[in-house]
Amino acid sequence: MTATPIVTAVDLRRRFGEGEAAVDALDGVTLELPAGAFTAIMGPSGSGKSTLMHCLAGLDKPTGGIVTIDGIELGTLDDKKLTELRRDKVGFIFQSFNLLPVLTAQENIELPLKIAGRDVDGAWRDQIVQTVHLGDRLTHHPAELSGGQQQRVAVARALISKPAVVFADEPTGNLDSQSSSEVLRLLRQSVDELGQTVVMVTHDANAAAIADRVVVLADGKIVHDGAAGSADEVHDLLRTVA
Amino acid sequence: MFALSLRGIATRKLRTALTAFAVVLGVALVSGTYLLTDTINHAFDEVFQTANRGVDVVVTPSRLFDQGNDNASVTPNPLPASVLDQVRRVPGVALAAGSVFLPGQIYDKDDDPLITSGAPMFISDTTPRRFDPLVYVEGHPPQAANEVALDKFSADKAGYELGDTVPISGEGPQERFRLVGIAKFGDANSLGGAAIAVVLPPVAQRLLDLHDEFTTIQVAAAPGTSPNELAAAIRAVLPARAATVRTGEQQAKSDSQDIKDNLSFLRTFLFVFAGIALFVGGFLIANTFSITVAQRVREFALLRIIGANRGQVMRAVIGEALLIGLVGSLVGLLAGFVIAPALKGLFKALGADLPSSGIVLETRTIVVSLLIGTIITLVSALMPALRATRVPPMAALQEAASLPRGRTARWRTPLAAAVALLGAALVLLGLFGSASGGDAAALVGAGAAVIFIGVGLLASHIVKPLSLAVGLPVERLRGVSGRLARENASRNPRRTASTSAALMIGVAFVAFVTIFAAGLKASIADAVNVGLKGQLIVQSSNFQPVPAAASRTLDEVPGVGTVSGIRFSKAIVAGKGRPTVTGVDPTTIDDVFKVDWTEGSPATLIALAPGEAVVSKDWADGHDVRVGQQLALTSPTEARLTATVTGIYDDKANLLADVTLPNAVVIRDFNVPGSAFLMATTTPGEDVSTVRDRAERSVRARYPALKVQTEDEFVSDQKNQINRLLALVYVLLALTLLIALFGILNTLFLTIHERTRELGMLRAIGTSRKQVKQMVRWEAVITAQIGAVLGVVLGAIFAVLVTIPLESEGFTISIPIGQLIVLLVLAGLFGVVAAIWPARRAARLDVLQALAYE
Repeated sequence: MTATPIVTAVDLRRRFGEGEAAVDALDGVTLELPAGAFTAIMGPSGSGKSTLMHCLAGLDKPTGGIVTIDGIELGTLDDKKLTELRRDKVGFIFQSFNLLPVLTAQENIELPLKIAGRDVDGAWRDQIVQTVHLGDRLTHHPAELSGGQQQRVAVARALISKPAVVFADEPTGNLDSQSSSEVLRLLRQSVDELGQTVVMVTHDANAAAIADRVVVLADGKIVHDGAAGSADEVHDLLRTVA
Repeated sequence: MFALSLRGIATRKLRTALTAFAVVLGVALVSGTYLLTDTINHAFDEVFQTANRGVDVVVTPSRLFDQGNDNASVTPNPLPASVLDQVRRVPGVALAAGSVFLPGQIYDKDDDPLITSGAPMFISDTTPRRFDPLVYVEGHPPQAANEVALDKFSADKAGYELGDTVPISGEGPQERFRLVGIAKFGDANSLGGAAIAVVLPPVAQRLLDLHDEFTTIQVAAAPGTSPNELAAAIRAVLPARAATVRTGEQQAKSDSQDIKDNLSFLRTFLFVFAGIALFVGGFLIANTFSITVAQRVREFALLRIIGANRGQVMRAVIGEALLIGLVGSLVGLLAGFVIAPALKGLFKALGADLPSSGIVLETRTIVVSLLIGTIITLVSALMPALRATRVPPMAALQEAASLPRGRTARWRTPLAAAVALLGAALVLLGLFGSASGGDAAALVGAGAAVIFIGVGLLASHIVKPLSLAVGLPVERLRGVSGRLARENASRNPRRTASTSAALMIGVAFVAFVTIFAAGLKASIADAVNVGLKGQLIVQSSNFQPVPAAASRTLDEVPGVGTVSGIRFSKAIVAGKGRPTVTGVDPTTIDDVFKVDWTEGSPATLIALAPGEAVVSKDWADGHDVRVGQQLALTSPTEARLTATVTGIYDDKANLLADVTLPNAVVIRDFNVPGSAFLMATTTPGEDVSTVRDRAERSVRARYPALKVQTEDEFVSDQKNQINRLLALVYVLLALTLLIALFGILNTLFLTIHERTRELGMLRAIGTSRKQVKQMVRWEAVITAQIGAVLGVVLGAIFAVLVTIPLESEGFTISIPIGQLIVLLVLAGLFGVVAAIWPARRAARLDVLQALAYE
């Protein structure tokens, strides 16, 4: 595992509102995410963890500081370039799956490549589909799939374009515990077997425990950055720092 | 609940505005039509009041026939001088004067007819000051035989000033006069858009080939005699059949009423388009309310949970419809003030200048406009409102709340099919049933409306295959955005169906008139090919008759062979109704025109003598007329004559009308001095266009209003006339298409709103704004194409159905494939235009907000 940073943030600031009502969701966050690492970002509600992810993924524009993905500085990109960067370098997994109901599971998985106008690498797709255990469900529409299955489709969709980094926003938030652990295992597998870099925002200590590293935010600042350890350790960590 | 309706409207301003717009356009057309026609009618009222000012009693020739819109000349004989003498001897008459007022030609400085818009031109004579409605603004009335006065409108139009030479012609060749007076008609510059040349009475008599005869006798009562008493006294001395006696006031009303009757078709014509626009608007409203009710299921459920009953939910939706309807109607009523002059300008651009001064707003216009718009909105919102009441309270607590299927849901398809069949039955009944004229048209119209509703409901079943057919090429072309566009278009088939149904209706009408007009044009070409043997056709450029003497002028042109004139009039035939009469020249007609014979031969026509008639097969069949039978005819001049039927023809070219008589009879007994047109052959070996040029020079030197045309020129002239009418119809249908455009726009906005999160996700994973725009655009194109394909098919079916009964009358069905393809392409562009704004909005969605959107 190399230590080349895939995602970096330097003195990241994000302020919402103006004047007295202004809130600093991010108040000087500096962070490096090396390639092939599984990082969990944690913190209580309002700690800025979602804002951090949005800024790192190029969905939100920070009010200060620098973000780079795969060596590209996001602040220098216009909307079009930023969209292309998200398309080519970033994979997304959402809490509410966000699959297109009109497309089949397979079409949803291949959607990012279609958007990019790229050909589907059949072998790679088969490998991913196998990994997420969807073989016999590929022709189904999302409405015919369970929540866990839908989220597995979403994971496959995030991996299909071999992105530099996958951002997962509370990926287990809408799932029961069994489905949750399946999805988490998948993410773990993608890091271990495919060398994928994954950043996961979660408030669930059990979820965070599967990561390599846990970054804890409170009031827009990093209050802890270290190895994940067991779920109990993460629990304790959260109690002490946040 | 009403407060809730208001709140609902306030929070959905854009949709409300777009929905209201559907009502606005239709109502604007209704109010604009009323405003325009009321204003025109009012203008004529004023004109005729002015014309009859100072006149206590008016005597005119009795009319047996109304002047229809066809070519038939049904002018009664003018009143002879003896009638004027009789009137003058009636006690209580202070002053009586005869005057003439008949169509003639007035020319501009280039010797072209002064008015080409179809408004008439008249020659009249000076009347005693007391009766004269003219107010001279420059110069004086004509006092010498070579002097003329013009109405101010005509003088201004042609740029004539006092002292200029004005060419005029009546029944004979053109003559030149010196302009000595320019007059207004009371306050108006013209008599309702017509041009009038006033000359001395003997001059008018000569120009119009009259012999001390009058078209009007105006009478002033002596002091102490009321107009009514005087009218009664005059009526007592004149035979009722010979003359009609009215007071000046009655005459003004009668004149005005005649014009109004002739113009009533204009109102009906415009109302047809207003009706179509309102109908399409209704579709749009129903669709919008259906979508929003579906989107507000949770809201309604919540209302039910906190104790609202079904009636209250219903009232909330209906209240919103009521407000939209009222406001839309009000705006529509006001927009009528823009539409009315626009319509007038449209008619003017197409060559029909209608008179108007000021604008007349009747209470009826306000009431009808507001009522019709509001009622249409309420009726259209009724079904969605009923569906809203079926939302169970539980829906508020469910994850994915959707509308419950109604009890009638499974009957929807059979019901829709039944509705469509009912419509088809109505159309067929109207076309082939026993109803006639207006009733048949009403049946066909109602049937078409019902079919549209039925097909609009059924259309949801073909949305998927159609969007596949239309969408596959798009997908191949545009990749993922094409694919998503196709899927989105067929995601909610009913919604797509009713959105495209609005366009379907507009396109169906466009396709219908396009096909019908193509058939009409083909029929004209066919008729000319089938019937015409001559090479030249002479007619006036403004629908006025060709003077009899012009026929001789044409005959003398070197290279012109046989010349034959055709005349049209009407007759009353005892027990056989009122057939249209054609006058032909038996010795020459066979040289210029060919007709098929059921009984008889061309020789029958050549031998046709006074006292004989040949009749059309259709008329003979319809009125049980056989060869050898005697017909007892009464002409518009009340001449009574008998004619023995000597032959029955089947005229595929439709030139010869019901009953054909020799011209000699039609000229003498029907008072039709001029021909409707002349046909002529060219001598063999002569180049037709050379002869044409030569003939045109000779004829126009004396009769500048005439034009000489070759067969091809005649056909293209006729086609141009059809094209002008077609242009008018297209413009009026464009309003309907505009409503459909707003329908697509509105649906797109609503669906984009619904798919906010999807759009957010698509943007997040790297879909560019351009791709999002493409996706929305192609969805609109597919929706529009579905409507266009259905519309073209329906329009073609209607056109074929309507023309089948006309086929026996020589109508040729012709499907203009090229134009229909252009129509489909235009419909696609239409979708592109409709999508501009929604696509921009979809592309501009903020990704984070869209993702967080519930």
